[in-house]
Amino acid sequence: MYGGGYIHNDDARKEPMQQDDPVMLAEFEARIARGEKIEPRDWMPQAYRKQLVRMIEQHAHSEIIGALPEGTWITRAPGFRRKLALMAKVQDEVGHAQLLYSAAETLGKSREDMINDLINGKSKYSNVFNYPAKTWADVAVIGFLIDAAAIVNQVANSKGSYGPYCRALERICYEESFHLKQGHSVFVYLATGTPVQRQMVQEALNRWWKPIMHFFGPSDTMSQHTEQLMRWKVKMATNDDMRQQFLTMYVPKILELGLTIPDQELKKNPETGKWQFGDPDWNEFFEVIKGNGPCNSERIAVRKAAERNGAWVRAALRKADEHYTIPLA
Amino acid sequence: MFDPKTTAALKKMLLVTADDHLILGHRNSEWTGLGPILEEDIAFSSIAQDKIGHALGLYSILHEHLGEADPDTLAFMRNEKEFFSAQLVEFPIGEYDFSLMRHFLFDHAAQIRFDHWALSSYEPLARLARKVKGEIKYHVFHANTWVKQLAEGNEESKARMQSALNEVYPLALGLFETLEDEQLLIENGIHKGELALQQLWTNEIEQLLGNFGLKVPTQAEAILGGRKGYHTEHLQPLLNEMTEVFRVDPSAEW
Amino acid sequence: MKIQSLDPRVNRLALDAANPYENEVLQKEEHFQTYQVFHQKKRGDKHVCVGIVHAPSDEMALVFAKEQYARRGETTNLWVVNTKNVLAMDYDDADVFSTTSEKLYRDPAGFKVNDKIEAYKKSRIDV
Repeated sequence: MYGGGYIHNDDARKEPMQQDDPVMLAEFEARIARGEKIEPRDWMPQAYRKQLVRMIEQHAHSEIIGALPEGTWITRAPGFRRKLALMAKVQDEVGHAQLLYSAAETLGKSREDMINDLINGKSKYSNVFNYPAKTWADVAVIGFLIDAAAIVNQVANSKGSYGPYCRALERICYEESFHLKQGHSVFVYLATGTPVQRQMVQEALNRWWKPIMHFFGPSDTMSQHTEQLMRWKVKMATNDDMRQQFLTMYVPKILELGLTIPDQELKKNPETGKWQFGDPDWNEFFEVIKGNGPCNSERIAVRKAAERNGAWVRAALRKADEHYTIPLA
Repeated sequence: MFDPKTTAALKKMLLVTADDHLILGHRNSEWTGLGPILEEDIAFSSIAQDKIGHALGLYSILHEHLGEADPDTLAFMRNEKEFFSAQLVEFPIGEYDFSLMRHFLFDHAAQIRFDHWALSSYEPLARLARKVKGEIKYHVFHANTWVKQLAEGNEESKARMQSALNEVYPLALGLFETLEDEQLLIENGIHKGELALQQLWTNEIEQLLGNFGLKVPTQAEAILGGRKGYHTEHLQPLLNEMTEVFRVDPSAEW
Repeated sequence: MKIQSLDPRVNRLALDAANPYENEVLQKEEHFQTYQVFHQKKRGDKHVCVGIVHAPSDEMALVFAKEQYARRGETTNLWVVNTKNVLAMDYDDADVFSTTSEKLYRDPAGFKVNDKIEAYKKSRIDV
């Protein structure tokens, strides 16, 4: 579900621009310019491989961790329809994690290494899941607006250059469209329901608006690095562009239900057509990425416990003579 | 269609199995996101959804054909004493050995039960049973594959499976607790009777588990009472949790 | 001290609140080998490779493939093949296919005869 547009890259700017074979590089870039996909065993620049692994891996982590905030309410979903829908939706997140780890594996990093990096705090995931889902209405806000933001990002990335990631995203985007409908449905029922329900969803919206504004990351610094990622179709749109697209599509859908968005400065500039908004506190964003958000510890602890508790199961099933081969596609 | 006493017995029979499936599906949904490997997490979640779907199918028959309240009301507004699920299904998920063994024993019982219901003289039930046959087939395939591989895995997994079997088997016998007026259901061709189903189930699981190297504790005493509304300390908290949001306003649309 | 979560399931796990960042939990190859999954929508369709599953055995691979790749839409059949059993060409060797489209002797478009037919008809009229 949750490919936050923001790829956490604190060492990227320190890495020197790597030296690759110029002939191979030219062919590689020409292929991408022609709109062709790069497949797993193709020659690729070291920076491309590294950046893709990082991006796909973070996306996969976001899905498996993303299963936890809404998972909070699985046992309490009201009524059969919502219960089954939420179970199916959270199941899809786990399914998406599986698809994305598989895509990243084609680039040579094992699933075990990726999961270890997640639970050791070395790899990041979308910040938005470090916030708590306090009420049932939070499920509505996450299911509607965060899925919506993720779709903006995923649709853009699905036109990228790496074959396996594009193929995974095609299916993910398709399933996300169900999630969006389900999320929007809960959101609408609450907003148009009893006063208690309406208040519940307004309060949830108030709490989640800042993380939603953080979702696409801060404005990109247009460096040589960013320019290269866009030429290689790894980064398909700027953070600001995606945020603008999201606001254009979804702010009206919130306002049409008579709900208020907790940002007095949020409005569309009639001349530029661009949304202006209040500063969403980027300091908080960076604090949460560093590990100091309300739920970071819990999310990692749960993931770690799940892996630890399953260790005896996996050990029992493993056969000594079976070995792993890097998947093909 | 049937006389009042038979109809009452039929309703109880449907409610009992609906409750079993709802509570077990609910318990198994607790594994979503926490499973031992991603692919199994996904599979087990589907099975839990199916169980809840089967519960919904049974509650729907009660509502649409037998004058009972709608499924949401039936599921979310009753308290512990009014639930007739076997005590087996209310136990916490425990570790994966417990949950898998519960899944194995329950699903073999469900397969036998629904296979017989497909021939029931009560048409709405026969129709539902035929519809869910394929889903249950997968559940049993999943359970058999897992229990076999763990029973034949390593020393630890073998010991865990045996220990789980010892613990779950007496509880599973509670699935076949005979209902009052069962005789009327048998006479009318609605149901074959719990004893008959239990015998088929015992033969099947003893053979399978024996092949996997596990010993069924056949002398164990059945843990009964669920069918009369007697439950352990686990059910009421489960129900409180399950109904927490719904009861904020049962008349609201969620 | 245990983690206090909003999620009752997490509370039942009774997790320690100690610093969660410690050493690796997973060993090498602990998540098993992979299988390529082939999916057939309807009878008469081709089986298409739709992705992979990690699984410890053939049977388990099929059990997993059913839920990961056939939860939605139409499915009639599934195959699973251990990745190690798939022999794949290198993309570097794609040049073996480079002249395929030039081999007009294999292509219906390589056999145009309308000119000849028209010329013949014209010659018959003139006679």
